[in-house]
Amino acid sequence: MPGFDFSNVNRNNALHARGVPLPKATSTGTTIVGCIFENGVVIAADTRATSGPIVADKNCEKLHYIAPQIWCAGAGTAADTEFTTSLISSQLELHSLSTGRKPRVVTCMTMLKQHLFRYQGHIGAYLVVAGVDPTGVGLFTVHAHGSTDKLPYVTMGSGSLAAMSVFETQWKSKMTEQEAIDLASNAIQAGIFNDLGSGSNVDVAVITKDKTTLKRGYIKPNERSKKQKSYVFKRGTTAVLNEKIITREEISKYVTVHELKGDETALGEKMDLDV
Amino acid sequence: MEFGTSGMLNEDGIHVDMDRLKKGEVNLGTSIMAINFKDGVILGADSRTTTGAYIANRVTDKLTQVHDTIWCCRSGSAADTQAVADIVHYQLGMYDIQNGRRPTTQTAAAMFQELCYENKDRLSAGLIIAGWDERHGGQVYSIPLGGSLHKQSYAIGGSGSTYIYGYCDANWKEGMDEEEAVNFVKGALQEAIKWDGSSGGVIRMVVLTKKGANRHLYLPDTQYSVRHQ
Amino acid sequence: MTSIGTGYDLTNSVFSPDGRNFQVEYAVKAVENGGTSIGIRCKDGVVLAVEKVISSKLLKPGANKRIATIDRHMGAVSSGLVPDGRHFVSRARDEASSWRKVYKTPITTADLASRMGGYLQAYTLYSSVRPFGITAIVGGWDSELELPVDGQVGSGPSIGAGGKVEGKKYGGPGLYMIEPSGLYWGYYGAATGKGRQTAKAELEKLDLAAGKLSLEDGVKEAARIIYVAHADNKDKEFELEMTWISNLDGPTKGRHEEVPKEILEEAERLAKKALEGDDDEEETKEDDKPAEEDKMEE
Repeated sequence: MPGFDFSNVNRNNALHARGVPLPKATSTGTTIVGCIFENGVVIAADTRATSGPIVADKNCEKLHYIAPQIWCAGAGTAADTEFTTSLISSQLELHSLSTGRKPRVVTCMTMLKQHLFRYQGHIGAYLVVAGVDPTGVGLFTVHAHGSTDKLPYVTMGSGSLAAMSVFETQWKSKMTEQEAIDLASNAIQAGIFNDLGSGSNVDVAVITKDKTTLKRGYIKPNERSKKQKSYVFKRGTTAVLNEKIITREEISKYVTVHELKGDETALGEKMDLDV
Repeated sequence: MEFGTSGMLNEDGIHVDMDRLKKGEVNLGTSIMAINFKDGVILGADSRTTTGAYIANRVTDKLTQVHDTIWCCRSGSAADTQAVADIVHYQLGMYDIQNGRRPTTQTAAAMFQELCYENKDRLSAGLIIAGWDERHGGQVYSIPLGGSLHKQSYAIGGSGSTYIYGYCDANWKEGMDEEEAVNFVKGALQEAIKWDGSSGGVIRMVVLTKKGANRHLYLPDTQYSVRHQ
Repeated sequence: MTSIGTGYDLTNSVFSPDGRNFQVEYAVKAVENGGTSIGIRCKDGVVLAVEKVISSKLLKPGANKRIATIDRHMGAVSSGLVPDGRHFVSRARDEASSWRKVYKTPITTADLASRMGGYLQAYTLYSSVRPFGITAIVGGWDSELELPVDGQVGSGPSIGAGGKVEGKKYGGPGLYMIEPSGLYWGYYGAATGKGRQTAKAELEKLDLAAGKLSLEDGVKEAARIIYVAHADNKDKEFELEMTWISNLDGPTKGRHEEVPKEILEEAERLAKKALEGDDDEEETKEDDKPAEEDKMEE
């Protein structure tokens, strides 16, 4: 029968009513922060990606490009932060091209909040938007349901509480660029060390009127040291219990065998080759 | 078939959303108010925004401008109230341009009410609209959860308002001067902040008169006694 | 080309080389043949009146209304093609009700005129439509009081709102005339249709700008002007239809209504009386200036 098959609907409803939860989407337990300084803004993130209790990626990138002078740190569902930021980045570039002006941070924030509000929180993107535009320095947080906040320093993700404690005790107004970078990376390290969902390295992006600098792996507090012993097993560690040799003639009874000449490869395999 | 009491489906197979706020949604557990006084209106609010037990923003600005001398106080879901305020802000801007005259507070209240009533199933927004114009002076409108519209001398809202009904009723006077009115709002919000765990931080106010909009800020460090900015 | 003239008048949205839109001008010709309509903006209300030429003895007197209510506080009358006038009214009612739905408050006369001006202008732009063959007069009374939001509960402070700027007046009478081109202006007194020249001359004598004419007198003047304007077209019989909108303290309490039968009949009686007096004068004058009427015509 063509068309949709709804036969699982009753089963799903019954399972749901018995308390069987829906499969969970992978989310990034994360620490992300942002902080403005004298003439710019810095954002930072940890680099751990998790899938349930498993560390899926030890060095992922959570700082997303929006425009040359606007960057975004993302927490929440990994796929949603990735696709949402790239979608808005694209729309913002087209907008910039059609207006002939540089993109603004508030524009980016407004587009993000309207997009996320439309999806009523089903797009699980929690973002820190930062940048410098002709109107000045901008720093915002955007929550998955579409609410936004404008603050001089912000944190998000599962490690946001640890990171906020650093800001709340050490932040001061009118910091230099280096002071801001240090504060932001300290806040991320608080997340890395105190939050289970965060870990690995610190990525930092610094945006000023003149340039943007992405410091990938600015701090690597979790480098794996060399193992003190080698755990490679010696040849012959596994004992040979018996041995049987099958000749080509015997195999030919069951399958067709083609002879390959020189560097010739099998046709089927060729198609699978990745360049 | 068994049905758990905690399941999302009820016996009719209909999803029942017991909580107004979605999981993880940012909440404005709030104390907000707006009052009429001799020369216009005053809006006031605390500054606490929460996600569950965590304070997501301790210096929030819940007093939102939707036109030159028309403002609103937001309570409920931060996302919903920001979205509604953004839409009305746009519509009032268009009204001004297309009709060549400023919208009245009534116009704003009508727009807010339409959005809140038509989308009552989807929104958790408790709004107070206050504005000033030459013809009607200062006016206060309240739009609670169901989307009804109430014209009032003064309005209070948010989780903290439950603690100050008595205070407001006992201390309210019509036609107060500006200083008296500011002290009334400040006194009420101080009590709301004191008793309501979901309210706190600074006290923000906006005074709307023929002179335009004037902001006030009071910090807890000085028991809200000194005006900053 | 000779058989079709210059060819610049065959369709809408086409300019002639000297910048005229012939289709619109032809629509104006349709208006100039219609029964005279007038409106008078008085200090405490607005009167609308129309001369209905009786095209058949079989038409029931008093039926077949030409002045319509657009909203509770507003009416419209038009000269020209009657069905076009009906469509105008239909659209105006839609505009008024959509305004009420969006803003929860009645539309002002000025806003309605602006909306309808925009609507008529659009009918000069496209080849698929023709301009309206009418000129419409819209009259209304915009409430001078504070307007509540429809559906609001409560009324605010018992002592009234604080911070009002005193000494300014709001609302009041509104009178607008909208032409086939979409052009519209606000008037103290407006006239259109066959007898407009005579009617305008009479309206100008009233010094309406002074804002002293009462609605009660306005009704009498309106009736008289329609009778005077009809005098050039004596061979045809006509019926006078008249509506008014008073202020909130007046006889209609801010609503657009027909002028009551007794008041209408009294106004017609006075109009006929004034005309008889005029006729005597006219007859004596006629010999002095026979060509004057022709000069007036445009």
